[in-house]
Amino acid sequence: MTDSGKLLSRLADRISYLIDIKGESTWGNLDELQRQVQDLHRSLFEIKEAELYKEIDRIEDRVSFLEDRIARRLTPAEVVNIVRSVQRFTLTDILENVYDSYTELGGEGECNIDPAVVVARATISRKVKNRLYSHQVMVIGHEKGRGEEYRNGGCARPWGNDKALRYMLVAETEGIPIHSFIFTPGAYPIEDYPGAAQQIARNIYAMARLKVPIVSFISEGGSGGAEAIGLSDLRLMASRGYYSVISPEGAAAIEGKIREGEKLPRDLVEHCASQLKITASDNLKLGTIDRIVEEPPLGARREDYGFFRRLRYEMVRATDEVVLRTKNFRAFRAYALKRQGEEKVSVPEDFDLVINWNLTELEIERLLELRSKKYRELGKGFFLKKSRGLGQKFRKAKAIASKGYYELRYGLLRLHHRNVQKVIEEVSGEGSVFFKKVAEPVRAAYDFVFPQPRRPAKVIRPDGPDRRSIFAEEWEPYVSPLANEDRTVTCPNASKYGCMDLWVPDLYGELCGVCPNCGHHFPLEYQWYLKNLFDKGSVQEFNNHIASGNPLGFQGFDERLRRDIRRTGRTSSIITFDARVFGIRLVVAMLIGSFRGGTVGTAEGEKFVRACDIARTTRRPFLAYVHTTGGIRIQEGTLGVVQMPKCTIAVREYIESGGLYIVVYDNNSYAGPVASFLGCSLYQFGIRSSRIGFAGPRVIRETTGKNVPPDYHSAKNALKRGHIQGIWDRRDFRKNLYEALTTMGGHNLYYR
Amino acid sequence: MSRERVLIANRGEIAIRIMQACKDLGLDYVVVYTEEDKSSLHVRLAQKENDLKRAYRISNYRDPNEIFSVADQAKCTAIHPGYGFFAENSGFARRATMRTRPLTFIGPRWEVIRDLGSKINTKRLAKELHIPVIPGSDRSIYNEMEAEGVAEELFFLQKEQGIQHPSVLVKASAGGGGMGIEEVSRLDTFRMVYRKIQNYAKRQFGDEGVLIEQCLRDYQHLEVQLLCSSHGEVVHFGTRNCTIQSTGRQKRVEVAPGFDPAVCKYPFDAKGVLDQIVRYSVRMAGHVGYDNIGTWEWIVSRDGSPYLMEVNTRIQVENEISASISRIKGATGPTNLIREQIRVALGDRLGFTQDDVSFKGTSIELRIVAENTNRGFVPWCGTITRFDYLDRPWARVYSHVPRDIPYKIPTEYDPNLALVIIWGQDTEQAKERARQFQRGIVIEGKGMEGENIVTNLDYLYDRIGYILQF
Repeated sequence: MTDSGKLLSRLADRISYLIDIKGESTWGNLDELQRQVQDLHRSLFEIKEAELYKEIDRIEDRVSFLEDRIARRLTPAEVVNIVRSVQRFTLTDILENVYDSYTELGGEGECNIDPAVVVARATISRKVKNRLYSHQVMVIGHEKGRGEEYRNGGCARPWGNDKALRYMLVAETEGIPIHSFIFTPGAYPIEDYPGAAQQIARNIYAMARLKVPIVSFISEGGSGGAEAIGLSDLRLMASRGYYSVISPEGAAAIEGKIREGEKLPRDLVEHCASQLKITASDNLKLGTIDRIVEEPPLGARREDYGFFRRLRYEMVRATDEVVLRTKNFRAFRAYALKRQGEEKVSVPEDFDLVINWNLTELEIERLLELRSKKYRELGKGFFLKKSRGLGQKFRKAKAIASKGYYELRYGLLRLHHRNVQKVIEEVSGEGSVFFKKVAEPVRAAYDFVFPQPRRPAKVIRPDGPDRRSIFAEEWEPYVSPLANEDRTVTCPNASKYGCMDLWVPDLYGELCGVCPNCGHHFPLEYQWYLKNLFDKGSVQEFNNHIASGNPLGFQGFDERLRRDIRRTGRTSSIITFDARVFGIRLVVAMLIGSFRGGTVGTAEGEKFVRACDIARTTRRPFLAYVHTTGGIRIQEGTLGVVQMPKCTIAVREYIESGGLYIVVYDNNSYAGPVASFLGCSLYQFGIRSSRIGFAGPRVIRETTGKNVPPDYHSAKNALKRGHIQGIWDRRDFRKNLYEALTTMGGHNLYYR
Repeated sequence: MSRERVLIANRGEIAIRIMQACKDLGLDYVVVYTEEDKSSLHVRLAQKENDLKRAYRISNYRDPNEIFSVADQAKCTAIHPGYGFFAENSGFARRATMRTRPLTFIGPRWEVIRDLGSKINTKRLAKELHIPVIPGSDRSIYNEMEAEGVAEELFFLQKEQGIQHPSVLVKASAGGGGMGIEEVSRLDTFRMVYRKIQNYAKRQFGDEGVLIEQCLRDYQHLEVQLLCSSHGEVVHFGTRNCTIQSTGRQKRVEVAPGFDPAVCKYPFDAKGVLDQIVRYSVRMAGHVGYDNIGTWEWIVSRDGSPYLMEVNTRIQVENEISASISRIKGATGPTNLIREQIRVALGDRLGFTQDDVSFKGTSIELRIVAENTNRGFVPWCGTITRFDYLDRPWARVYSHVPRDIPYKIPTEYDPNLALVIIWGQDTEQAKERARQFQRGIVIEGKGMEGENIVTNLDYLYDRIGYILQF
């Protein structure tokens, strides 16, 4: 009888799993089946055995039939439900079944700085000709748990991601590969020290050039939270997993402009789930993952040991592949490319070879090179290119030619010049000390006899031009069109500081949009900065032939895109240009809010990366001015998400080449970009009255259930958290920027 | 009455004088007042005219929004800022003229106010026109090392001239009226002071630009009174000497003309210097297209070198002493500069030239203030129970303090009580008359704790003897 009891509860599990997937219990009379199983369970001892088994068989047939039916036409929304089901495998199952042994680091279970993130030293082994070989790896991943509250549903808090980062560095020190497992609906959107966005940015920045192979596996890839541990040399994905820029519910709330507290229409959520292209096969097509690990048709559950065997095989293979690509021997690489075992076939028990996962210095170089190349390719071909005019071609030719020129001029020659100068300085320095010793007594005696006021030498700063405030002296070089209105506005701080109402022409003219009493900054259009921040006529835009498109074919998005292009006269939310500030040439990337809310997609990412590279070859400082950014463009799905690591890699390479990367946030800067290529800058500043953070108050309320104070994201609090380095007044922007350009940055700037 | 209606956006005695000028010109007018000022004479005088509502209560003289809504409510066509408050606020002037319901701003064009309101700009302009200015930087300095370099050079120059205690002034470029100025007498302390002023300027004016100037000690403070019109006419009304000031650099006794070689001995050609500063002032006014009333402030050192200090683009408190010593040919009564100012602002031509202006006698202004001159000129507050004086044909008194009822001095504003303007055939007579008038003034009052009023009357009496002397 116990057997039949087990059979029944297994059946009950299968039914409730189906209910989970469909998201409703009435489909296919599942609730009725569920009730029948329960009845049987209750009357286990009253019914005759034969009858019982007959009944069980009947229900099982029915369940199998339904399973088949669901599996044949699995919608993206159902995939999401599979991933969220409590019956799905978690990281603990992987640690137990894929790895031979493991030791949890940085906490254990509930006794943990962040139980949502699990880090473990683990051993993974392979069989070659009946001998067992094992490898040490660092496993980093999210643990969703089975409903335990302390796991926080796999949402990593900032300190959880910090823990992950620390152990990544341990792996780097010890030279062992990292296996990261992504099981997160998203990062926990709180701004506690140092803030979710800032921590994720630090992680991505570190992973961009982490000197060990990284292989990641995605089951639930929720946007920024996934990227925090997701940058890797090879990305695997579970066939029933999802990887998305935003949860389908979140997308639905935005798409349908659903107000807070209102119920989301189910078909809208389903529609968004399919529009966002979140499934494994979609992501493979988009190139955002490298390979799919096949699961059973309805997804792997805790006891799908076959799946774990496959996963072990795939993880070892993937790591091998990453390692082998760095080798120079062709034969090895050929092996790597030859895949054993198709998805549908069971995985082999044996490996052909043992491969050592340690890398030499040279191989590490190659690993990083390949990683950079891989990410730089992401999203290419998904943005639009307007036909290149002659000017564009010329520019490209010039770019190629200029690379050599800058190398010569500021590389070789400058180095030589600097060395000669140093010798001269040293020699003359010693000389003057010597001369002073001889001459000083004579001079002192002379001064005593003939006292004379001594005219001081005029101080002329060798560097830098006249430092003049553009606002005190060059009046109204550009006045915002906002100023053309005869009305007054009330400062939002009026009740607190007693500010008088401001006359609009004054406010947006002479006052530069700043309340003279409390210093509140009213938003100004990006053109104001283009005109007032840089030397007159020095702004020269480039790469404006790269335009935003609709790579996923998101329904209704083409129309919205066209509308923004018409309205703003721009084709992407980023403007990249050369400019000068008091004569110093720099490269600027400006994210503007008027085009799709300053969101970042493939076109923006590509333009950013190119601007970064131009700054590197021309040895100019690189400024990212964020007029506003609303995050990653959700309509581009994971293609947008991968712009985070892509741009971060370009930034890191630029910074390490000895450049200067400055980020200045204005108005509103949120989500993905802040959590990656903006937030990773060593020098970040906020314009006064700007807001910086990971998620807005509404998202915080919906995910954490907590209300945040209105100034939660203020620049002042970002400064307090250590996210930004300072708060700039808009009127001092130009001066502060010049100051920063001359005092900060690496050795490789052309004017150093 | 004419179609013009002037909003007087000020208080106290200047409001009364503007009111009177409007009446003389046949213009309608409206005054504003705050709760604290409700018993001020300017309100009572305006309300006396029974027919129309002429006094509007506002909460703050400094809130432009309120002033403009009163202007719209009362259907005013012009606005007179008086002195202080919005008088030199180019933004206010601009708003008045550029709003959808424009008002004539009684003062220079806003561009002129803006350009001459900046000390730096004035200084640079003066240099271009070969007009001497106080040695120092002629542009805002934003850099500490550069600033120290300038200071060092100024110390050197002063030593070279044999000045005993050389010092420099560090000023906020955007500052004015004695705010944001500090003296440095030792180079070691320069950087500290520089930073302090820079921070102050940044906080207060939103521009951290700082000016560095030589600190002149032994000098006379002179002014040139100009009246210009929008038709390109420039006429001067002579000079004034405003050297006698309180410790806070507030003027207390002013005299016109600026020097009197007949009475005092000067170590330089006094008449030559006066002519020179008048010539320079007129040159600059012509250059910028000055179009209203204005004062060019000068410093004259002991060696007779004049330096242009700043330009006040408004009517000044002491304008009437210049008016008293001048006569316009063909005019029936004495000159009234406020009247002239309103007239030219409304577009009139001057109707006379420099040749039509003649000068006669000496005029002295005494500013009566309730303050303790022995204790750093701290203002006294309380209620004035009696204010009286003997009327004389050669003296005029401007005051908002009523002579018939007690008056509580509001603590919010400038503690000026009354202006006395004396005219004499020559300096000696003017001095004698000033003393005589002073003796006839009676001010009684009680403070919060029943103590007697403290005024600067004795101080003024003592100073009369020192006027015009170097």
